[in-house]
Amino acid sequence: MLSFEAISLDTLLTLEADQLDTLPFGVVGLSAEGIVETYNATEAQLAGLHRDGVIGTHYFSVTAQCMNNFMVAQRFEDEAEIDAIIDYVLTLRMRPTPVRLRLMKAPRADRRFILIQR
Amino acid sequence: MTTDLEAENAALLQFLYACPAGLVEFSAAGAISMVNPAAMGLLMPIAGKPFVINLFDVMDSCAPELRNLVQHFSPPQGTVCDGHRIVTGRGERSTVLACSIVKLTQDRYVATLSDVTEQVARERRLKQAETWFASLLDGVDDVAVLSLDANGCIDAVTSSAARQTGFTDAELIGKPFEWFDRPDRASAMPLPGEAIAVAQRDGWYLHEGWHALADGGRYWCQRLVAVRDEAAGAAAGYTLVIRAVTRQGRDAADLRRMLTLDHLTGASNRAHFFETAERQLLRALRDGGSLALVVLDVDHFKRVNDEHGHAAGDVVLREVARRCEAELRPEDIFARMGGEEFVVLLPGTSLMAASAVAERLRASLAREPIDVGEIQLCITASFGCSALDTDPAASLAGLLAAADSALYSAKRAGRDRVALSNSDQAAA
Repeated sequence: MLSFEAISLDTLLTLEADQLDTLPFGVVGLSAEGIVETYNATEAQLAGLHRDGVIGTHYFSVTAQCMNNFMVAQRFEDEAEIDAIIDYVLTLRMRPTPVRLRLMKAPRADRRFILIQR
Repeated sequence: MTTDLEAENAALLQFLYACPAGLVEFSAAGAISMVNPAAMGLLMPIAGKPFVINLFDVMDSCAPELRNLVQHFSPPQGTVCDGHRIVTGRGERSTVLACSIVKLTQDRYVATLSDVTEQVARERRLKQAETWFASLLDGVDDVAVLSLDANGCIDAVTSSAARQTGFTDAELIGKPFEWFDRPDRASAMPLPGEAIAVAQRDGWYLHEGWHALADGGRYWCQRLVAVRDEAAGAAAGYTLVIRAVTRQGRDAADLRRMLTLDHLTGASNRAHFFETAERQLLRALRDGGSLALVVLDVDHFKRVNDEHGHAAGDVVLREVARRCEAELRPEDIFARMGGEEFVVLLPGTSLMAASAVAERLRASLAREPIDVGEIQLCITASFGCSALDTDPAASLAGLLAAADSALYSAKRAGRDRVALSNSDQAAA
């Protein structure tokens, strides 16, 4: 099951970069420090950015300041385990864009994921 | 392969994503067409939800004047406002934003937003010092010098003090210097003891306000409290310098009006309300007095705007403010909280007394319709009251929330009425 709602954290961790690129929703994988480690083609396309310019940067400071709040970034700080879908508005290419976000974090893995569905 | 153009485009987007200042492009009606993440980050907490679509709607709760500023700006293009200060939140951790708006065409505006909370606090102290030193350069012909003991009581005076105030030495000596304060609704005075505490910490304290004259009148003055002998460890005493400010009386009054009043209605603005309310609350808690809040919201106001236009809505808000202020005492503060919502701060007032005041305001609105151009509109409002005497542990935010929820019950019970906060019922 590779849908936005059903895909598991373990699956995301095992998929290769080119497999992540075929997913129809955005996938952003962050280190425990919030550094971007995974950035799939769909997300690069939606945000209008190149993967190379985003990987290695601090996601909530550089690319996604609008998620740097209690609704998203703070939850990754505060909660040991999350799997939640929330309605949100992102500023993709500076257009206010309604999206669904899926926040995923588990104690067994360092990498956290944000899935973005338009 | 990415072309040069695509690479440039991506770099531009990254630049906008990373920009630490908020940028918003919007229409004359406030509809947001472009917004960068920093702006979204500042707007979302104000909106209380992530669905930020219209700038005026989001700002209506804390800066309803933005809509007026944009609509009243008639040139085809130019700067609508520059660094306009917006106080957000409702008492706890108020964030201050600076907002600049430029009009590009009839229906296209760009705004920048940045968080200046820290800067505002720093500026306030700097501005005080600057005003004082600038004024010294203008001549020292009207300066009174007094000596204060370690507790802030006057222990010696020079003849300049008697000349300036008309009080005799005997009337001045032994009194706390704050005894001569004569505050009014536009000038928030420091709490008793605050000036001495700050002077002890920083070496000086500067304040501008009304001071008593022996003939019963008052005069506007700047006061500097300076530590006399810092070397001795704990201050042995203070020097109080009072300078009468008459020279720029009009300019200063205009400036004070601009900084404390709401652009549209002439009621106090949010910043002034919060500053005064915090002080009054501390004072009430310390002296054991009460303090009441009345929150009022014009009933079905959206209908007025939708059916008769924003200009009619503006007339209604101005008239509501005028009628309410006419019913209040000089020491009460009547402030516009946002949109069609107002708040009254009633120092030294119990919940029951506040409800009588609210009833008087309600009646003065309902009594006769408001003239809006050719038509007359019957306007009513709903009221919620809270007070310290029934809720002694409340913070300002707590009192506001209690008044808000009473307002909500007044709305639910059919509007055009007064409801009181009741902590027992709220729990049920």
